[in-house]
Amino acid sequence: MLVDPEVIIRAREGDDAAFNLLVQAYRKRILGTIARLIGRPEDVEDVGQEVFLRLYYSLGQLRSPEIFEPWLYRLTVNSAYDYLRRHRRRREARMADLSEQQVVMADAAAGTKVDQDERRRGRIREMVGALMSAVSEKDRILLTLKEIEGLSLKELEKVYGVNENALKVRLFRARQRVLKVFEASERKSAGAGV
Amino acid sequence: MLQDQNVTAGGLDGLFAAYREACPDREPGPDFMPQLWEKIEARRAFAYNLKRLARGIITTAAAASLLMGAYLVVPRHTAQPTYLEVLAAAQSPDDSADSEIVQSVYENSR
Repeated sequence: MLVDPEVIIRAREGDDAAFNLLVQAYRKRILGTIARLIGRPEDVEDVGQEVFLRLYYSLGQLRSPEIFEPWLYRLTVNSAYDYLRRHRRRREARMADLSEQQVVMADAAAGTKVDQDERRRGRIREMVGALMSAVSEKDRILLTLKEIEGLSLKELEKVYGVNENALKVRLFRARQRVLKVFEASERKSAGAGV
Repeated sequence: MLQDQNVTAGGLDGLFAAYREACPDREPGPDFMPQLWEKIEARRAFAYNLKRLARGIITTAAAASLLMGAYLVVPRHTAQPTYLEVLAAAQSPDDSADSEIVQSVYENSR
């Protein structure tokens, strides 16, 4: 836990200074999680503020400081889910939908000033974004929390409030769907490379 | 086939790991906290105004109920006409002329 449980208790009782401390402690981590969940850097801060706004008005319902982190993750997941539902995937051509050759050409066209590393990261973000858009928002969030955020099944159980077996089944199915899309994109890249 | 699947699954895991690196935790902008508090205050003000409005409506409704109750309970002095008044009102001028004739005939006959 990033803060003392006493701070959580004080924030729960309406101490604004304690709430400020909470936000300062968790904002970096939460913004990172949101960035990975929604894949749109320009909207990350808005969704992050929504998370902390919800936290401010629901903190009174928190039973014990020990479950604060899963609680915060749940608020993050709900806000990200609401955001993704509002901004359903726009029909835009994504880099990952293009063949490897097209990507290389697009990279070249992007100019030489752009840092090589940043371009590679951008491509990874695009690829994962395209893969994740092949599954529902719920599955996307679950997969991100498990595979990218690295939450354990026990932690996910607390976040979702469902049992481990149900989560395993959902994870397996979501992963299979993503795997299929991944295989297809790999084949496409290999075909373009030949 | 199974090996292919494992290779693909391994590739997917690698991609996820690379994605984790490509999207590190990020520092919020300098406006993050002020904007957050603005939003909190805005919602608080909205809730406060809503509460005031609701309280006003409840007070008005209670006052209106009291007034209506009082109106119904307190006896009204738009008194109903008595039996004699109804009789007097019902007696038309023709009726009174008839009765005078009847009375004069009665007196002459005596």
